[in-house]
Amino acid sequence: MNAPDRQEKFVVPEGIKKVAFKPDTKVANAGSFTSQREDHTVGNLIRMQLHRDRNVVFAGYRIPHPLEYQMVVKVQTNGKKTPIQAVQHSLQDLGDEVNDIRAKFQEQLSQFGGGPGGGMGGPPLPPY
Amino acid sequence: MARTKHKARVAGGEGGAGPTAQPGAAGAAQGAAAAAGQAADGGPSTSGRLPDNLELARTRVVCGPDMNLHTTSTIAATQWASLGVDASFDLDSFRRGFNIDITRYEGDDMEFEMKGVSCALANSLRRIMISEAPTMAIEHVFIVNNTSVIQDEVLAHRLGLIPLKVDPRLFQYKSKEESPSEHNTIVLKLKVECRRLPNGSMENECVYSRDLQWLPLGSEMPDETSCRFASSQEALVPGGVRPVHDDILIAKMRPGQVIELECHCIKGVGDEHAKWSPVATTWYRLMPEVVLLQQPHGDVARALAEQLPGLLALQGTGDAATVTVGDVRKHDKLLEKVRRLSGEEQYKQYIQLRKIKDHFIFTIESTGAWRPHELFNYAVSVMMSKCDKVLEGLQAFPQRSF
Repeated sequence: MNAPDRQEKFVVPEGIKKVAFKPDTKVANAGSFTSQREDHTVGNLIRMQLHRDRNVVFAGYRIPHPLEYQMVVKVQTNGKKTPIQAVQHSLQDLGDEVNDIRAKFQEQLSQFGGGPGGGMGGPPLPPY
Repeated sequence: MARTKHKARVAGGEGGAGPTAQPGAAGAAQGAAAAAGQAADGGPSTSGRLPDNLELARTRVVCGPDMNLHTTSTIAATQWASLGVDASFDLDSFRRGFNIDITRYEGDDMEFEMKGVSCALANSLRRIMISEAPTMAIEHVFIVNNTSVIQDEVLAHRLGLIPLKVDPRLFQYKSKEESPSEHNTIVLKLKVECRRLPNGSMENECVYSRDLQWLPLGSEMPDETSCRFASSQEALVPGGVRPVHDDILIAKMRPGQVIELECHCIKGVGDEHAKWSPVATTWYRLMPEVVLLQQPHGDVARALAEQLPGLLALQGTGDAATVTVGDVRKHDKLLEKVRRLSGEEQYKQYIQLRKIKDHFIFTIESTGAWRPHELFNYAVSVMMSKCDKVLEGLQAFPQRSF
């Protein structure tokens, strides 16, 4: 009865910003990022990547309520980087990793002959 | 700009991590020489070398008979700083360590192996494939007549779950307020009547998915459905629209019963409802490893080889009999037996089942609308765009320290 529309899970409504940042008032070099319409898919990934950063002292994510579609990442660094920089570097690293995965997969695929029956042939289509 | 600066940072950081005057200095110096190199066993890379027991805990899940050990795979970069080992992320060592191998690709099923990625990445790719790749599925069902025993809503539910063989890229998303048009809707019709034939047999006792007809010109009752096509969809979908499988049983009827309905299909994602998920399922498992902690001899070797035929190969005879471990991938079904045997008194010091934490055997079973390799490519690009979206959102904030 009170359940929100399923589409709210991934459509960001007008006027609401995708990412908000709040520096932590009590702890130095810490802050929380609230991402709208994101879930464990990105949350766990960002958290894992943040842990691999030497300058990050604390990194964690949570989803405050399953029916409110937002994710909060809390980061604390040791001062050599700001939390914003740490998250930015992590996201850039993730992008590079994922690019590499794609390239290697394409390579493997071409060795395999593009899959049985080829890909979906025909003229170039608009993005999904 | 920002990226090149970042790479310089990584290179400088690496040099600094090596020489540290710590108890494990000798090991660290050796490690620094092979800095950012791959661990010999192919586990995740660190610059430096951990003592064997920690290396085991870091790279392997030990599958004990009653519980699994060392299951965590998130490690902080500074976790072993006191040992002089730096576990921080380095793009170059990732590139060196990462590998993909397609092992099987038959029709709609693809199996491949990914080495060198973290669990979080593999899981995110799996989640994206299941819930964020769009397909077309029946959403609205306008029932003109249903005198079968299957209730309207049950029938509509079953119709929604039928996978359709149509490229979702040809269509646009339709929001609730928009009216259906040839760009965002596919219309299918089902009109079946069960009759008794003169020779006594029944016609149309079973309604199959092949009885669904595509209507390229749109709805046959535009006033009720407010669906008006400006042009035929034949040019848009040259191959026609049909279900992936012809023989999906939708309903069963008896003579005199009629089902007449019109289905409107729209584009959606698995997040909204599982009928829009492009995969029957997709999953991964960790690469298993069967390890002989000690070489068994004689009777124990024979007993073990008998318990695990194929996986363990017996060599030699009598008291000098020994075993070697074969290809683990071919003997999936024996792995749980290995786990059980590793708990038994007479075998526990000989055999152990482990899983390699960063080696994933990924399987993608597509329902037919997408090819599995395109699905994986799409998942990868969705992941990148998610990272980019968050990055963009962050640009709004100043880079100052505080």
